[in-house]
Amino acid sequence: MESLDPRVNRLNLSTAELTSKAPLDQLGTYEVFSQLREGKPYFHVGPVHAPNKEMAFLFAKEQFSRRQTCTGLFVVETRKIMVSPFTEGEDTVYNYIEDNVEGDGSEVKTYELFHLKKRGKQHEHIGTIECTHLEEGLSMVKPEFINDKPVFNIWIIETSDIEFSQEEDKIIWNTLPDKKFREALAYKAADKIKEFKERQL
Amino acid sequence: MYGGGNTFEHIKSNGLENEDPEKLVEFEARIQRGEKIEPNDWMPQLYRKQLIRMIEQHAHSEIVGALPEGTWITRAPGFKRKLALMAKVQDEVGHAQLLYSAAETLGKSREQMIDDLINGKSKYSNIFNYPAFTWADSCFISWLVDAGAIVNQLANARGSYGPYCRALERICAEESFHLKYGHHCVIHMATGTEKQREMMQAAINRWWPPMMHFFGPSDKISVHSEILMRWKVKMGSNDDMRNQFLDMYVPKIQELGFTIPDKNLKKNEETGRWDYTEPDWEEFKRVINGDGPCNKERLAVRRTAEERGRWVRKALLTPKTEYVAPLA
Repeated sequence: MESLDPRVNRLNLSTAELTSKAPLDQLGTYEVFSQLREGKPYFHVGPVHAPNKEMAFLFAKEQFSRRQTCTGLFVVETRKIMVSPFTEGEDTVYNYIEDNVEGDGSEVKTYELFHLKKRGKQHEHIGTIECTHLEEGLSMVKPEFINDKPVFNIWIIETSDIEFSQEEDKIIWNTLPDKKFREALAYKAADKIKEFKERQL
Repeated sequence: MYGGGNTFEHIKSNGLENEDPEKLVEFEARIQRGEKIEPNDWMPQLYRKQLIRMIEQHAHSEIVGALPEGTWITRAPGFKRKLALMAKVQDEVGHAQLLYSAAETLGKSREQMIDDLINGKSKYSNIFNYPAFTWADSCFISWLVDAGAIVNQLANARGSYGPYCRALERICAEESFHLKYGHHCVIHMATGTEKQREMMQAAINRWWPPMMHFFGPSDKISVHSEILMRWKVKMGSNDDMRNQFLDMYVPKIQELGFTIPDKNLKKNEETGRWDYTEPDWEEFKRVINGDGPCNKERLAVRRTAEERGRWVRKALLTPKTEYVAPLA
């Protein structure tokens, strides 16, 4: 096989018949949340596949904060996210949360709470809950949200399962505004077309 | 960029007789109301199957599409063009990641999709089975193939499957620079020396037939399924998309003093649509089934990357993490 690309020719590609690749060697799945501006809430942006949290963070940085502004990232393994049932229309998930659930006396843990406020959109970080077990935690925040606009789905993640970007990580987003060559505005050419047309007359 | 879901196979049986009629009514009503379908919602098997196929083909097109353009990074004329082209190609590969994730939410694993690409089972956009001979070919791809893809993607972004729409929104936002960059490259060639103009015209002549193929077989021979339109899986017929592309870009090509190698190409004032010489659908079929100038090379490059990168993935594997389908 002769390619037009000298680099491809140097690869000495095998020209064997098409075959399947080796059996599954899939990495774990992580969900990524990003913050577009300081003080704004974090939103779920999508998944990455990685062998551990640190690598997931690197992939997330590349995949979800390469082109958009970003001031922070959360990364968490997908299977560590607890997902509530979904509701519809005017029915809020908080209708299904029990009132006044007591703590069970065990150690207090912290959890991050996420709401889905509109079908078709993505989950938004709402805040942190401290409680001994989840039912207690949800029952604690229920009064705050039960009369609000409906919440269609809740995600809860134990805070210690999340890899958060740190203050010193922010340096990785410093150069974003400088990369003007990735913006449409850097490619204005109307004058050139006009000049070309005038020359043709 | 790149995809569009227009290499569908024909639906032989829609299998709807096996679906729960009540759930089907509810599902269709939701789409009628303009709501998105989410991974946890009930959906007919046919909907799931067609979306996996379409999103997967789109993802493969991003990956394979990065090859003919990527080949020009090392030979791009000047530092600015090199920077821009590198950023563009990286974006395309990133788009593939977003699309694979969207397809994964429907139940097909990423590994299975990558396997189906390299074993030749899955298709990708046929246009990338053609070679980029000169820098001008790369300019054509950046401007006009991207433009065609954007026509498809903007339509698909109004579709019914939530994760696909959200991936497309992100993709379209990143694409805006690709199109302008591509146009800028072509304008530079058009307003340059006689040699540069000749190169660009030659590229247009080479790429026009695959560009016409890009939107998929003519409606006359490809009966688009009414049901996929109703479910907002397919958002416009192949001919509609082709016509929209011609409307937007033929004038822009002509204003640069280039010609289009089809003497029958003109806007029909009565119908408001473009007349053109019927593209060679036999060639389209032949190439998509493996017999194009670059099919073997494209897949061999992918397979080699998979094989030679395997030790890295093996070294990274850890029993502590586990593959599961993404949540949304």
